Amino acid sequence: MGARRRFVLLALIAPAALVGSLAIAQTPAYRPPHRPDGHPDLSGIWQAFVTANWDLQGHEAQPGLHPELDGAYGAGPAGQSIVEGGEIPYRPEALGKKKQNFATRAKVDVSDDKKWHALGDPELKCYMPGVPRATYMPYPFQIVQGSNNTILIAYEFTSATRIVRMNWTQEAPADAWMGWSRGRWEGDTLVVDVTGLREETWLDRAGDFHSDKLHVVERYTPMSPYHLQYEATLDDPTVYTRPWKISFPLYRRLEKNIQLLEFKCVPFTEEMLYGRFRKPGAP
Amino acid sequence: MTMRARVSVLVCVMALGLSAAAAAHHAFAAEFDATKPVKFRGTVTKMLWVNPHAWIYVDVKKDDGTVEEWMIEAGTPNTLLRRGFTKESLQPGTEIVVDGYQAKDGERRANGRDVTLPNGKTLFLGSAGTGAPDEKKDEKK
Amino acid sequence: MKLAALIAVGMAVALAVSLTGQAPPPRPSAASATQPKPYASPKTPWGDPDLQGVWNDATSTPLQRPNGLKDVLTDEEAADFQSSLAHDLTRDRRDGGADADVNRAYNDHWMDARRLKITADKRTSLIVDPPDGRIPPLVPLSPERQAVRSSRAGANQRFNAGLPDDYTDMSLPVRCIIRTDSPPYLPTIYNNNFQIVQSPGVVAIAPEMIHSTRMVYTDGRPHLDRGISQWLGDSRGHWDGATLVVETTNFRSDDGVVFQGANPATFKITEQFTRVGPTSINYEFTIQDPATWTKPWTALIPWNKVDPEEQMFEYGCHEDNFDIVHFLKGARSRQKNAR
Repeated sequence: MGARRRFVLLALIAPAALVGSLAIAQTPAYRPPHRPDGHPDLSGIWQAFVTANWDLQGHEAQPGLHPELDGAYGAGPAGQSIVEGGEIPYRPEALGKKKQNFATRAKVDVSDDKKWHALGDPELKCYMPGVPRATYMPYPFQIVQGSNNTILIAYEFTSATRIVRMNWTQEAPADAWMGWSRGRWEGDTLVVDVTGLREETWLDRAGDFHSDKLHVVERYTPMSPYHLQYEATLDDPTVYTRPWKISFPLYRRLEKNIQLLEFKCVPFTEEMLYGRFRKPGAP
Repeated sequence: MTMRARVSVLVCVMALGLSAAAAAHHAFAAEFDATKPVKFRGTVTKMLWVNPHAWIYVDVKKDDGTVEEWMIEAGTPNTLLRRGFTKESLQPGTEIVVDGYQAKDGERRANGRDVTLPNGKTLFLGSAGTGAPDEKKDEKK
Repeated sequence: MKLAALIAVGMAVALAVSLTGQAPPPRPSAASATQPKPYASPKTPWGDPDLQGVWNDATSTPLQRPNGLKDVLTDEEAADFQSSLAHDLTRDRRDGGADADVNRAYNDHWMDARRLKITADKRTSLIVDPPDGRIPPLVPLSPERQAVRSSRAGANQRFNAGLPDDYTDMSLPVRCIIRTDSPPYLPTIYNNNFQIVQSPGVVAIAPEMIHSTRMVYTDGRPHLDRGISQWLGDSRGHWDGATLVVETTNFRSDDGVVFQGANPATFKITEQFTRVGPTSINYEFTIQDPATWTKPWTALIPWNKVDPEEQMFEYGCHEDNFDIVHFLKGARSRQKNAR
């Protein structure tokens, strides 16, 4: 092949390879042991090590909300995108809302019931983070895979809990912060269909958001005794031009006697939310 | 004290005790004013199916033609869901009669002590298709 | 009728006492006479007794036995009591004056219908030890604890008057920090549901309110070290035959974290979960705190399996807790207008 043709070929291939997302690196095929019911056991404590909770897309390190007070403590790290293709395919009119979210992520005002959720990142207020955000927050979570067609997932952040009902057809009866989860097995992959998510949850601190039409399909696939491959497809035609996907590994926490601890953050937010309503002069 | 007197005294205690009974649910007397009973008829504009309290927004037309918006505090939607009612049970546009007590701060907020349809039927019993908890069984699994 | 009235009345008092504040030992002989013969509990595939499912503990049996009442009712007395109770509890009543009426906050559709029944064994208290069915007397409290109680009483007074100074004047449940999820589990007016999911070495108990799962490790690991204290404590369990025995330690020392303001440093709670039938679990707890009560006490509460088609639903609390702002803003505007 002529040098020029080789060059042209490389020029075509290279960009796609360069602008990649943080997909799972190739690992040898893994066959997990099965429980008597024929499925792998995903029970255990898992954690993600991506920085997607700051920003799903590629991002640089950034100062915190009050650098004059908390310097490097408050700063956020850099991270590569976990979005397949790199960018979230927002509808053009939706991008304005993302920008507005980011600009007001640390503003809270709960003085008016009707505007209770209008401002501020729900994470800041210690509201349950929703799906898939709970999976990539920098806190561990625990899967308890029951033997009665139920899988419980407990998250350390604000002690949020999800019940995954296996092979369940009932639709979400009402919206919930952690959604309505129905699971099934596809080979060794646990597939969880999530609907009924409260529209007020955000996907990260960068203001990425969705509507009440969001439909998430998660896939948890054992890659080794110590890793799960996590993928989530997000579909919301009112906000995005097409469904899009994130993926990253989940790591099993291996410390001896590891357990979830409490991160009950409500007390950390009360002064911020309610301090302004204190009786003047009261301690 | 006679047995009868004990009974009448303690009936009042029971009424208070049972509301305090909600595993430290707030006493409604803390928020609503026993001296400000309200009773009005209005049109539902929306219902928030949230915890710890569901809220029913009602437009009330006053005699002078102006419209006031009231927020009616109700219970936990989880219990209604288990009785077979759904988010669709109370449609915007439904007329309801609210009988309760107004918030102590004088805002247009009341507890929904009794919420009925204009024909006198208790709400959630009178709504079409939601009379029986069993009704939803066919839709599950 | 007289007996039912006495029961209804005493029950009211007991409930008022128990539920503003609170709440198992060898069963009294009357109850033993009605004990079912041992039930062979189904087992999980890995051989532990199977407690999984959604369970409901609603009941109108009071925590403490009304004074002067016998310990177990006859069938007729029980039926009589339940119909009296249904009458007494109905929010269709408007008697008792406005102050009582305002507390009938919303109609019965929002309440757990199962709470109208007493326990199947017809006991007149959930407490089974001491034999009188009542919480033992308090020991004299230290001045420090007296001061904490007075301070809490002051906060409650301000709150009940609708004039809280601050969010700290509200209780932990009103602030949505802990609710039914904090042990011991006691019946309440709604959402009396618990979901249990098991995998080898752990029993996960998820109460409906608020939404925190309690992980009971049965793999023999030690408790957390003392430097870590938690709102729900730290639970370790072991199987004793068909019974899951749970010890919980490491409670936080914040005011109100442990039952009835007991002393977290000396408070001990042991719970036992036993599957006693296809649709029944016996939940028993023993509480002791020599710094608060003269002796330990125990209660037994039956849990009933709900229809498999029924579900627990999410109980977000802090996320839409508008009332915190209503209480505070309302207090500020009333205080301002009073000047």
